[in-house]
Amino acid sequence: MDSEIIIEIEHIAKIYEMGVEQVFAIRDISLTLRRNEYIAIMGPSGSGKSTLMNIIGCLDTPTFGKYHFNKMAVEEMTDDELAQIRNKEIGFVFQTFNLLPRATALKNVELPLVYGGYSSSAREEIAIKTLEHVGLADRMMHKPNELSGGQRQRVAIARALVTNPSIILADEPTGNLDTKTGEEIMKLFNDLWKQGNTIIIVTHEEDIAKHAHRIIRLRDGLVERDEINTSPIEW
Amino acid sequence: MKFTEFIETIKLAGESMRGNKMRSFLAALGVVIGISFVILTGWIISGLDNALEETINLIGQDMIYIDKWDWTGGKNWKLYEARKDITLKQAEEFCSRMKGAELAVPLVRKWSVTIKAGNDSYDGISALGTRYSYSQTPAASIQEGRFFSIFEDQINTNVIVLGSKVAETLFPEGNVLEKIIIIRGQKFEVIGTVKKQGTMLMDFVDNQVFMPVGAFMDVFGGQMLRSAEVGIKVGNMDNIDEIREEARGIMREIRNLQYYQDDDFSLNETKAFEETVASLRAYVWGIGIGLTMLSFIVGIIGIMNIMFVSVAERTREIGIRKAIGAKKASILMQFIVESAALCFFGAVISFVLCSTVIFLAATFLPKVWEATSFLKPVMPFQFLILGSVVSIIVGILAGLIPAMRAAKLDPVDSLRYE
Repeated sequence: MDSEIIIEIEHIAKIYEMGVEQVFAIRDISLTLRRNEYIAIMGPSGSGKSTLMNIIGCLDTPTFGKYHFNKMAVEEMTDDELAQIRNKEIGFVFQTFNLLPRATALKNVELPLVYGGYSSSAREEIAIKTLEHVGLADRMMHKPNELSGGQRQRVAIARALVTNPSIILADEPTGNLDTKTGEEIMKLFNDLWKQGNTIIIVTHEEDIAKHAHRIIRLRDGLVERDEINTSPIEW
Repeated sequence: MKFTEFIETIKLAGESMRGNKMRSFLAALGVVIGISFVILTGWIISGLDNALEETINLIGQDMIYIDKWDWTGGKNWKLYEARKDITLKQAEEFCSRMKGAELAVPLVRKWSVTIKAGNDSYDGISALGTRYSYSQTPAASIQEGRFFSIFEDQINTNVIVLGSKVAETLFPEGNVLEKIIIIRGQKFEVIGTVKKQGTMLMDFVDNQVFMPVGAFMDVFGGQMLRSAEVGIKVGNMDNIDEIREEARGIMREIRNLQYYQDDDFSLNETKAFEETVASLRAYVWGIGIGLTMLSFIVGIIGIMNIMFVSVAERTREIGIRKAIGAKKASILMQFIVESAALCFFGAVISFVLCSTVIFLAATFLPKVWEATSFLKPVMPFQFLILGSVVSIIVGILAGLIPAMRAAKLDPVDSLRYE
């Protein structure tokens, strides 16, 4: 494993103020993530995995410690700089899909490109290609409520892929799907990984984590174990 | 923010309004009313200005009328009434002594005259006796035929020039010239008609007839006459101040005024109408601006309220947009544009509403209420632009605080929002 380092986290902590009390969501975590890794972050609720995901995804910044994304110091960034990193470098996939209900699949996928400043013709071209890539060429003009759960998650994945980001960050991507559909989505992630994408999946399900090649287990805001999965589920 | 993103923002605002038609309409209602007040006020004012301009053109900006009565009228009525009448003799003496002006003519007037033509008769006419040279003033602009000549004037011929309304009423079929009319038993030959030129401020002018002053005295001489007037045409406007003072001096001498006595006559100019209209204008503006402000305040509160609701409802959407890379400015712009679009939509409704009201009012109102005939059936164009600009500004103001709240939302919290 000597490919390029994308994420370098050094001794970060995240403290929330709950009234007068201070709560450590993350106590002390250090991590290094490289290009084209396939990682699962696991842990029970309260272990700090959501907070870690928000920090990795540049939705939040650590209270202490250093976070470098592609050698850029994230902890020093302004809100707008964080927004730009999220737009260009990170593709989010959420448990609840988080699509805009009034927009078609195509428009949803185009949205990151709108904030990236692409022209409307360029947006459409890229978004169509990406939707074809996730197998939704015939569903582009449908709104989310006209799509099945699996299709919605495919739209969300297409939206995450459309800016060609450095990492894809998925938070319980199969949590709202039945087992069979969940497996299909996991196969899609596997394909994306094979095509060279870097994938981070946050989950509490052992079965899902087994698809990854590296599993990071958190407990009480610390890394409990960080191990290589020697027998990932292959497709 | 890139231009393509701005275009998307406008599209988004349209979609959002279409998604909530009834709510958008109700929210914009305050703005609809506000913009309507702006447009209707502007419409009335432009009608007034128009009437003023017509009146000034009718009288002539370079005309000074010496009269016992003052055109600014009203409050000092008793003072004017107490003045001694100006006699025709005084007026004629004045005219012979007034050298600086292009023209000075005496005028004698009789109100409520009845004219007969064949079996028809027409009451309520104002008869005016004057000299041939009065034809050089705008008030005697000829439509058809001619004004009376110096010769007819000197030998007191019974010839008459009719105002447009008199001519229409007595001879609805036309062919006015050479017709004979009868006033107090005396026959007059119609030799011309004056252009239709009545305005809101001088609606009687179309109901006038003009005749040589000598003929006038023959007919009405035995009766109680109104105080005579003098019409002075200044000619060169640069000299109006000097001519006014020259006229004042001559008239004071004729009226035997001592240095300590005030003028017992008035020098009337079109300025008097400008003052009347200015006060009317101020009145209309005052009411208009008051109502407009009030409805805009209500409108801003309505829009602001609905924008707060909209931000709260779409917290999760804001979280999604931020997660995929929307900057603060993008979110801010999204809600401000939506608010501005909502107000502009209100303005468009108000344009449609106002043009209907304006057309109907200007077409039908003067038929029942003649004083409103100065209203024109067209919407003043500049008020469309003003209305649009004002509505957008109102929208931006109303949307600013809700949009700032939306822009400041934390992406993590808003994504979790249910």
